Amino acid sequence: MDYVILSMTLLAIGIYGLLTKRHLLKVLISVELIATAASMNFVLLASSLNKALGEAFLILAFSTDTCVTGIILALLVIASKKYGTCDIRKLAKLEQHETIEGEGKSDSKIKEDIV
Amino acid sequence: MILELLAVGLIVSAFLAVHLDDAVYSVASLTGTLILAAVLYALNDATFVAVFQLAIGVGTLAVLFLSGEMLSEKPSGKKPLKNAFLAIAAALLLSIPSIFLSVRTIPTSVSSDVSFPEALWNLRAIDVVLQGLVIMTVALGIAIVLHEKKEGKN
Repeated sequence: MDYVILSMTLLAIGIYGLLTKRHLLKVLISVELIATAASMNFVLLASSLNKALGEAFLILAFSTDTCVTGIILALLVIASKKYGTCDIRKLAKLEQHETIEGEGKSDSKIKEDIV
Repeated sequence: MILELLAVGLIVSAFLAVHLDDAVYSVASLTGTLILAAVLYALNDATFVAVFQLAIGVGTLAVLFLSGEMLSEKPSGKKPLKNAFLAIAAALLLSIPSIFLSVRTIPTSVSSDVSFPEALWNLRAIDVVLQGLVIMTVALGIAIVLHEKKEGKN
């Protein structure tokens, strides 16, 4: 079994989810999978070559991964509470509304428009 | 054989995590992925990383479960079983290359007698200290935001 191909498969699944799913939680799960693939590459190559540096480096990767998860979760909660949707395409439409039509619209009106 | 089974399980659960419509089920699949990855690390003599992965995974998944349950609307379709079987079949197909193919790795001449504590504290000490500072700053920021929010309510 080859760990490089295993982590590449995980990476491919994560990219597939990132490109095809619209829900912000699914995007977060895809980002988690991509981070897992990257860390797996580090750990398993380092352990197969008997080098501890890869494992030590992974601690940084884990903390970065946790920060990314926190930021996306914060976005998820804000989007859900403010606009009532977690769909990234609807949120993109919302951004277009805000840039084209200016500040005159209230949140509830924008929400009606995108739904 | 155990490693191959773990790899297949890892890919199947990762694919289900992305593919399933219900957020709670997909977070449950992600739990399986992270646990299997930790077992794979432990079997490859990376015990410290396995423990770290489990510790971080528990926190992440607890928050994900809560947000998945609170923030997502229930799917309206009535064909989750058929969908899941198709996804499992696709994931099994995807896991074939990682079991049967291999990539040639170039043998390295760098000496490999560095122990884990030595690598952590002699080679990456600044990173570890900076990381601790970043985590402390984030925790302080969250505490300040929560405190201001509480005062604003009062």
